[in-house]
Amino acid sequence: MQKQELRQGINDSVPIILGYLPLGLAFGVLANEVGMSIIQATVMSFLCFTGAGQYIAIGVMQAGGAVFTIIMANVLVNLRYLLFSTSMVPYLKGRVPTALGSFLSYGLTDETYAVAMKRYQDHSPTVSYIAGLNLSSHIGWVASTLLGAILGGYMSNTERLGLGFALPAMYICLLVFMIKRKSDVFVALSSALLCLVVGYFLPATMGNLFNIIIATVVAASLGMLFNERD
Amino acid sequence: MSGTDIWVMIVGVSIVSMLPRVLPVALFTRYEFPEPLKRWLSFIAPAVLGSLTAVSVLAPEGFIDLSIHNRYIWAFLPTLLVAIKTRSLFYSLLVGIVTMALLYNYFL
Repeated sequence: MQKQELRQGINDSVPIILGYLPLGLAFGVLANEVGMSIIQATVMSFLCFTGAGQYIAIGVMQAGGAVFTIIMANVLVNLRYLLFSTSMVPYLKGRVPTALGSFLSYGLTDETYAVAMKRYQDHSPTVSYIAGLNLSSHIGWVASTLLGAILGGYMSNTERLGLGFALPAMYICLLVFMIKRKSDVFVALSSALLCLVVGYFLPATMGNLFNIIIATVVAASLGMLFNERD
Repeated sequence: MSGTDIWVMIVGVSIVSMLPRVLPVALFTRYEFPEPLKRWLSFIAPAVLGSLTAVSVLAPEGFIDLSIHNRYIWAFLPTLLVAIKTRSLFYSLLVGIVTMALLYNYFL
């Protein structure tokens, strides 16, 4: 373990945890309302660590849907992780042992992915950094769920505190970090437009985030049309 | 949904959310990807963040809202400026959250 790297990973997870706080709290509260116990809600956050997927589970349970429906919807929502994980492989190769890298990839989310990719622009990945970043984000998610499940209805409105904008603000900033080439601007804008168009014509994809997968795959392919040298 | 059903659901969701994250790293680190695939993969991060930003700002409630009553659009502008100027996640988040709180409590 390299202390410095571990500490950097934990530091970089702070904004992520801030963003997870209102979402985890709300998940805990809602899970309680649809009949999950405090333990079930907390264990779900620990084992699944998928914000969108867990919210879908709540929605389906509320509508009286089946376990199978929830699992299938989660297969769709989580497909984007295949892309994230695969796009990290060239960075991890030869630097992070496969077994540890795979284990720590359990903590891959939209947010930990983007923060790590930013870091890898000018630093080599290390096990300590990934552990610090992913594990503390994971703990933040579980802890805020637990808190939400315990406090239940007593929670004051976190919207008032502006925390609803924590994740969008993070996406905006990470987007700025990810733009290095002209082609990146083009890809990001096409992806933004595509996911809204797909979501508009197929509203169901807005709920299960499939519009993001479609937009990402198409926009990344459009980026291949550029033949600039990086 | 009974208690047992809930546990089955939790384990099921856990498996389908773990596999797509873990499998690529577990299986592919042995191979060298061809250049075009590496290039394609290098566009995944900007593409994902482009669409995540678009959805979270322009459709914060799950449907597209381009009206002036959408607070997220107003909060987007100063946050983007600060992100470009400072290149700091901390300041971007701070400005975004404070702007949102002000908008929520005093304006829209």
